[in-house]
Amino acid sequence: MAMKKKRYALVIDSRKCLNCKACVVACKAENKVPVGHFRNRINEERKGEYPTLSINFEPEQCHHCDEPSCVRVCPTGASWQRKDGIVLVNYDECIGCRYCMIACPYDARYFNEEEGVVDKCTFCVQRVDKGEVPACVETCPSKVRVFGDLEDPKSRIRELLATRRYKVKEPQTGNGPQLYYLL
Amino acid sequence: MGTIRMDRRLFLKTAGATAGAVAATQVGCFKYFKKGRSTAADAKEIPTTCELCPNKCSAIAVVEGGFIRKLNPNPENPKSRDMLCARGNAAVMQVYDPDRIKQPMIRVGARGEGKWKPVSWDEAFDYTAKKLAEIKQKYGPEGTLWSSTEGFQEKFFVNLGQAFGSPNIVRHPTLCLASVNLAYGTTFGTVPSFDMLNSKYVIMSGANRFESIITPDTMDLIGSVMERKAKLVYLDPRFTVTAAKADEWYPIKPGSDLAFILAMLNVIIAEKRYHKDFVDTYTLGFDQLAEHVKQYTPEWAEKETEIPAKDIIRIAREFADAGTRALYYSGRRSSWYENDFQMRRAQAILNTIVGNWDQMGGMVPNASLPKGEFLFMPWDDPKASRVDEVKTNFPLAAASDGVYLKLRENVLSGKPYPIKGWMVYKQDPMNALPDQGKTLKMIEDMDFIGVIDLQMSDMAWYADVVFPESAYLERTDPVEVMPGIWPAVVYRQQVVKPIHDTKPNLEIVQGLAKRLGLSDYFDYTIDQWVEAEFKDLPIPMAAEHMKKHGVWAATGEAHYGKTLTPDHRFVTKSGKIEIFSERLQENGYDPLPVYNQIAQPPADRFRLILGRVGYFTHANQSNNVWLHEFMPENDLWINPAPAARLGIKNGEYVNVASSVGSVRIKARVTEEIRPDCVFMLHGFGKKSKMQSLVYNVGASDAVILETAWDKVSGNAAFHGTFVKVSNA
Repeated sequence: MAMKKKRYALVIDSRKCLNCKACVVACKAENKVPVGHFRNRINEERKGEYPTLSINFEPEQCHHCDEPSCVRVCPTGASWQRKDGIVLVNYDECIGCRYCMIACPYDARYFNEEEGVVDKCTFCVQRVDKGEVPACVETCPSKVRVFGDLEDPKSRIRELLATRRYKVKEPQTGNGPQLYYLL
Repeated sequence: MGTIRMDRRLFLKTAGATAGAVAATQVGCFKYFKKGRSTAADAKEIPTTCELCPNKCSAIAVVEGGFIRKLNPNPENPKSRDMLCARGNAAVMQVYDPDRIKQPMIRVGARGEGKWKPVSWDEAFDYTAKKLAEIKQKYGPEGTLWSSTEGFQEKFFVNLGQAFGSPNIVRHPTLCLASVNLAYGTTFGTVPSFDMLNSKYVIMSGANRFESIITPDTMDLIGSVMERKAKLVYLDPRFTVTAAKADEWYPIKPGSDLAFILAMLNVIIAEKRYHKDFVDTYTLGFDQLAEHVKQYTPEWAEKETEIPAKDIIRIAREFADAGTRALYYSGRRSSWYENDFQMRRAQAILNTIVGNWDQMGGMVPNASLPKGEFLFMPWDDPKASRVDEVKTNFPLAAASDGVYLKLRENVLSGKPYPIKGWMVYKQDPMNALPDQGKTLKMIEDMDFIGVIDLQMSDMAWYADVVFPESAYLERTDPVEVMPGIWPAVVYRQQVVKPIHDTKPNLEIVQGLAKRLGLSDYFDYTIDQWVEAEFKDLPIPMAAEHMKKHGVWAATGEAHYGKTLTPDHRFVTKSGKIEIFSERLQENGYDPLPVYNQIAQPPADRFRLILGRVGYFTHANQSNNVWLHEFMPENDLWINPAPAARLGIKNGEYVNVASSVGSVRIKARVTEEIRPDCVFMLHGFGKKSKMQSLVYNVGASDAVILETAWDKVSGNAAFHGTFVKVSNA
């Protein structure tokens, strides 16, 4: 049987984000992220003067771009992309030059000093390959993130993108980011 | 190909792990992640119940090579809504925390000096039993105080105190939710849940539900608000996350929430927007209420609350129009002002007159589920009366929980009788109570202090004997029914064996009971206890089900309206919902909520207000390495206008002084707070060096908070302290 083409992506409803950090700790546990480093984070934008104020929270992690600049600049091929769109780092080939960190428009990568390699969100590939959703998606109290396959016309993310307005961040880079933020 | 390489790396990291793993946990919490990772082949998934806060969410522990790798949410529990928050996820680090108490210890230096001798369990039990027996002989069993906080194994500790003969059991409610419980209980005869999933209009004050996570309320409300199914009106002196997500936020003048509610009642009744049928059928005292609230006009309330009268009128109308699906949310922790009971009563009454009782989207009396009981030998009631004199001072309060702050006053005064022994289970009175100086004085006055805890809390730091409890992931606990709109029975089973020389609380209690001659009351194992509880679960193979699933929730469906028959008898004096309460009147309290102004700070001072963030609830969580990194140090929120006046700069240290103490803390100059308030987060400035991440870092609110309590419930009133802020 021919394998059906897949394209994993995240749809993010930032308005529901409470900045509770559940996703960050779940990622830390699932992926053994060292203390002091994070594969995902919540960006905060605080505006206004008392009493006219606003706060926006926006989850951020690797955007698993269609044309990932990190993969383009990697001199050893350590940064690479699976057919289903997931961008990974092959740690054995990473020489720690950190070009990819500079190339990433989202500051989504960190340098693991202890291992001498660059690391980042993998969409919890170990879970996804078992048919599970990434840890950040599963643990979220307000279910901010929806994970799915864009090639599957019946997927929830396809439905959301068909019916809701959304944006991608830094589209001008030509990276083709695959984190879709609902408006 | 790439995934294979990934796996190879995993494999390489695993090689030679087994030998290193055991030693690694002794050294530090991170080592095991590097070396102790096992192949996935021996991975197990064990359902359990989280203990990091009182929500008791269902979780599934992933165990590999004998180590807890990860906790995932368990979707089978409808109350926990298939989520696990930051704290729940960080429970892994509670187990592998290098700061844990790793064996029983007896103090050798002065109290608080931090000199300890590791001892055997026998030695710790013998020593404690001898001290308790001495106190009993000299002062009677009532000369001992047993204080504990909420948890599945708390009952064993409470039982030991009672079997020992002490009436002085003091639990956490009067530091938490006693006023809200008593207010709703007085009105309805029960404390309902709030159906945030289906509500159309929610008003919230005295609660910050998007940061103080309560299941399922937090998740239900954020969904409802963001999907535009519900409108949220929020009152808070601080621009919290809840404020940021609300449709309307009003930085209400602190302590005036009651005025806002009374004015809403005024409008709704004057405009006849209340639910007349419901009020006529199910309630008592509406006419007196109508007369009583005539004085509380929106224009009057505007002056009290600083919320424009036109907005109060509009909100009252919108609220009444949403009718049975409108909610004035009760809040959970309700230890704010000395009028807290009456403020929560007014909420209950407001909810009543729009007829939201037992309706979809309204207040719903809790449903429960059956479980078995383990029967054990009962003991005689204590001969002495309580040292906090609850019956005379707080006749309506729950005597079995005690009134903590009144209790401390009486212990310090030695009246009505001396208390010389203090046993503490999993509680940190040093940080949970206001005015740490008084708590320290109480500690000094004790002949003996024994503490059971996981971590060296500040209380444990000042103890004479410390008993290390096993973490929740290391033990099996009694089965618990979680009542609610979506009730569930939850089970906490051992996930890994204790990694240090620790014991579950029951075994600590039994060790003491044996030496105190009380073994007959505790002659059972946790397995026997749990088995008895499983027996009456109305499902086949209950024990197997609970071990496999960790939770049972019947159908998980909500049921509304069971109490909505005219012959339903509410558990109140009249059998009706009591808007006017004779019981309050008989006990010398206002039978309807009467507004009394709360004192406001003078021009050179600020009101200190408290609150939580999503990743810290209890004082001990700031020392969890996975949570601590979000906030290594707490700070003092201060509005830019007063900060400029005082020359206070963002990020620089300031002194914050009240009448009882002062602390040094970094200033956070922020627009997100009223100019007359300052705010700080709980859980920092620890005195215990075994809370290494927060020892002497930041400041403890307990040092500067003054002692005050709600008059009816005795609940601590934490928002009455005025502080001076100056550059350090």
